[in-house]
Amino acid sequence: MSDQAFALDAGAGVQEDLACTLLSKHFGEFAAVDEVSFSIPRGAFFSILGPSGCGKTTLLRMLAGFQQPDSGDILIKGQSVLNTPPNKRPVNMVFQHLALFPTMSVAENIAYGLKRKGVPKREHATLIDAVLAKVQLPDYGKKRIDQLSGGQKQRVAIARCLVLNPAVLLLDEPLGALDLKLREQMKIELKRLQREFNTTFVYITHDQSEALVMSDQVAVMNKGRFEQVGTPQELYYHPKTPFVASFIGDSNQYVGKVQGQSGKTITVVTEHGVRLLSQSSEETPPGSRITVFIRPEVMQISLGQPEAEQDNCLQVTVLRTLFDGARSQLQVETAEGAVLTVALPQTADFHALEPGRSVYVSWQANQCLCFPVAPVTRPEAV
Amino acid sequence: MRSFRQFKYVTMFAAATAAFSVSAQAETLRLLTWGGYAPQDVVEQFEKETGIEVKVTLSNNEDMISKLRATRGAGFDLAQPSQDRIVSAQADFDIYKPMDLSKIETAKIIPSMLEATKKNTEFDGEVYGVPHVWGTSGLIVNRKTAATVKDYTDLCDDSLSGSVSYRLKRPTLIGFAFAMGEDPFAAYGDMEKYQAILDKVEEKLIDCKSNVKAYWSGGDALLNLMRSGEVSAAMAWDAGGWKLNAESPDITFVAPESGALGWIDTFVLPRKTKAEDAAYQWINFVMQPDVAARITESAGNFTASKGSDDFVNDTLKAQFKESFPQADLDNINWYPPVPAGLEEMEGKVLDRVKAAN
Amino acid sequence: MSAEPGSLKRTQYRLGFWLLLAPIVLWLSLLIILPHIDMVLVSLRERVASRQYEFSFSNYTEFFTEPLYWNTFVRTAVMSIVATALTLIIAFPVSFYIAKVLSGKPKMALFILCLIPFWVSELVRTYGWMILLRETGLVSGALQWLGLVDQPVEMLYNDVAIMVGLIYTSMLFMVVPLVTTLDSLDKSLIEAGYDLGGSSWHVMKSIVIPHAMPGIMSGCIVVFMLTLGNYLTPTLLGGKDSLWFTEQIYTQFITRFNWEQGAAFGILLLVLSSLIVWLGLKITKQSFTRVMS
Repeated sequence: MSDQAFALDAGAGVQEDLACTLLSKHFGEFAAVDEVSFSIPRGAFFSILGPSGCGKTTLLRMLAGFQQPDSGDILIKGQSVLNTPPNKRPVNMVFQHLALFPTMSVAENIAYGLKRKGVPKREHATLIDAVLAKVQLPDYGKKRIDQLSGGQKQRVAIARCLVLNPAVLLLDEPLGALDLKLREQMKIELKRLQREFNTTFVYITHDQSEALVMSDQVAVMNKGRFEQVGTPQELYYHPKTPFVASFIGDSNQYVGKVQGQSGKTITVVTEHGVRLLSQSSEETPPGSRITVFIRPEVMQISLGQPEAEQDNCLQVTVLRTLFDGARSQLQVETAEGAVLTVALPQTADFHALEPGRSVYVSWQANQCLCFPVAPVTRPEAV
Repeated sequence: MRSFRQFKYVTMFAAATAAFSVSAQAETLRLLTWGGYAPQDVVEQFEKETGIEVKVTLSNNEDMISKLRATRGAGFDLAQPSQDRIVSAQADFDIYKPMDLSKIETAKIIPSMLEATKKNTEFDGEVYGVPHVWGTSGLIVNRKTAATVKDYTDLCDDSLSGSVSYRLKRPTLIGFAFAMGEDPFAAYGDMEKYQAILDKVEEKLIDCKSNVKAYWSGGDALLNLMRSGEVSAAMAWDAGGWKLNAESPDITFVAPESGALGWIDTFVLPRKTKAEDAAYQWINFVMQPDVAARITESAGNFTASKGSDDFVNDTLKAQFKESFPQADLDNINWYPPVPAGLEEMEGKVLDRVKAAN
Repeated sequence: MSAEPGSLKRTQYRLGFWLLLAPIVLWLSLLIILPHIDMVLVSLRERVASRQYEFSFSNYTEFFTEPLYWNTFVRTAVMSIVATALTLIIAFPVSFYIAKVLSGKPKMALFILCLIPFWVSELVRTYGWMILLRETGLVSGALQWLGLVDQPVEMLYNDVAIMVGLIYTSMLFMVVPLVTTLDSLDKSLIEAGYDLGGSSWHVMKSIVIPHAMPGIMSGCIVVFMLTLGNYLTPTLLGGKDSLWFTEQIYTQFITRFNWEQGAAFGILLLVLSSLIVWLGLKITKQSFTRVMS
């Protein structure tokens, strides 16, 4: 994969807390994790983002030690942990449903790990108070778990792990059960905690917003492999594969044929017959099939013909408004019948766009992305 | 066949159905009896001849009294407790109704037995029972492995360690008392003397405990223990011994030197009997010699019916002769009526024997 | 206008409430409370002569002054407690395996396998053990055939045989509540226990067992009561030394016609066994309502 270079680069240093090389796990014929390699620098917030069934949970469980990889190696602070059982690994995990022990109080939950680690009992109270203060739940030690709100439980689950000073903290979609408002708050809170404890976080999620907001590095995972590893900005603006381009952010996708190329700019005619200009970093021979990605927010809507010169400008008919406050979108249709989704600026001009109205959408060629359509995989020819 | 003891399920079921049928029809005879005393073919013949339906519930002495006590004498039309257990139960619980001997064809009954039963079942000047089946308790011995056993106390011989069985009930106490040279029946009226005898017997039985394989309670269980050879000598009923003898000649019933214990099972009317006429009809029916002989074959014991011996098969007669030469027959200790209160004393002794190590 | 139908509805609702309540009230009062009141009354009288009874506590003092009865009760209680503990020790791993290790078809299969012995009556089950353990039985025969012993061995008629029979009879009543509570234990709690550094022993002790405690206690109560009240198994398998308290009650009622003593024993069994259960709950700090819910 293209990301191997990145992985190997970082793997050479001693600064990484966690590294994997060619890690694989099969369930029967199905490869849940397929030769994944990566390394995470110390103190980073690293997310693994992928749709459900992509293998991210299996990967995380291998890191925690609940599942044995078929091949490959896991290094924590430079040491292979393949033969270390989960209770001996210097990693801790925040479970999807938190898995707080309901028969114990908050303090007992936190003390559980301390006891197992052999921390002298007289130090427990101090450590528990300190960690509870850090997660902003001072004096909550005596509470029962069922007396806590969803957000408070999150904090206790994190405190329970972080009090043990793990080399790596694994988080398995812990925000999934929260309502939207709380989730937004917890995103910021998690990021703050990660800074404060300066612990390496490995966070798996299917929610791109969680990954993008919190992470230093995001790995996009698909079908057991890492499609791309990079900063949120890199993934958003420079996706390297069509999967990443479609998975991160919204896009209008069109399949078309290349008509011609001049420099980096190519001309594409989509299946509907719409002619578009796009930029391509790769050599694209005329006639080759290509997928074009255009994000809703790069397109500008205007009621009349835009004055400034634009690479692409289409006259379209409004189909419907998808109102979502600041994230409202407009669905429009070209004369050829291609449907586009466009971000709707919240300005007075566009408040009364009723269906059937004719408007213009325009964008620059370098704001498009295009990838060659992968040739249909054939069985190995003899 | 007198051996069916734990017929809890059958009796419970029958009691339930009996309770339902109380108001159903009068022409039903609810008979509370021992296994083998009402064989199917006899019941069928009776039903055909009289049109009276017979419902049989199998039981034993204690169970009969408990059942009738619980209902204060209702639920059954005719019962068959042993003659020695009638007076005390009647005195304490008032569960029976006097017999009208004029309705019974007494000529069919062996006179000596009828007289003995009349005497033993008399309470407040009324007669409560007529005899039906009689037999004895003695020893069942495997002659190959326990030829030395001639009396109850021989069961405690060291050579029989772990291969002896008897019941933990009053016949065992009485039997051992006789074998130890006492006469418990003579002491029935003298509580203190009786207690002294019981104390002696208790000591003997506790001493003897290591010889015991198991205290049997169901007759079939005992027969199985004898058959398999796990037990080589036991105190039990004669009929069981003859049954085993028919299967294997080594095993037979032996009348103990101190005398077999003779019992007579009777007919009595429960106090709230609903089919008195049918009950008398049944008694007269089963006392016919040929019918009585069929009951003897089914139960294994002889009846009080005059002349029925002629109809009994030769095997049983031969077995009887072998077990009871005339001397032994004369030596039988017949149970006199048990005075009230005795059974409580015996109960404590039995409890202590059971608990001893 | 609107008040009329409202009150009518309320009356209907109330009627429905009482109609629904009636069977349980009848059942409780006719089949449980009344017989027990009668038992208490019977136990408080003494036979002074034929058909004459007087109020007396003698049946109760008899229990405490006659060491035989008291010893029989203590023996029954101790054996029942041991049987309950052993049943728990055997049933817990089985239940854990069924609830947390297996899933799908094998889980159901094993669970049903645990149920199968209970499709036949207790009497038949006990006879099954007798066939296995008696001197001329299968186990004895097998041992002789293997050359491990040179003569038949009697394995019936001792306390071990009673214990085996009791545990076998009680197994289901322990497995079912345990599987139910263990099923409700989130697997991630166990994983979290390991993840935070716990060994298998610690996870068992601090997470699985505290979670399963209501199930353990309800299983133990049921098994203890069933064992204490068992009649067939100790009598048949125990033979000459069985000495079980229910046997004592049975004897008093049926063979001694001493209903008064039997009733007193019955009441004492009820009171003393309730006391033991109460103590057990106190010691394990469980509440009865929680255990039985």
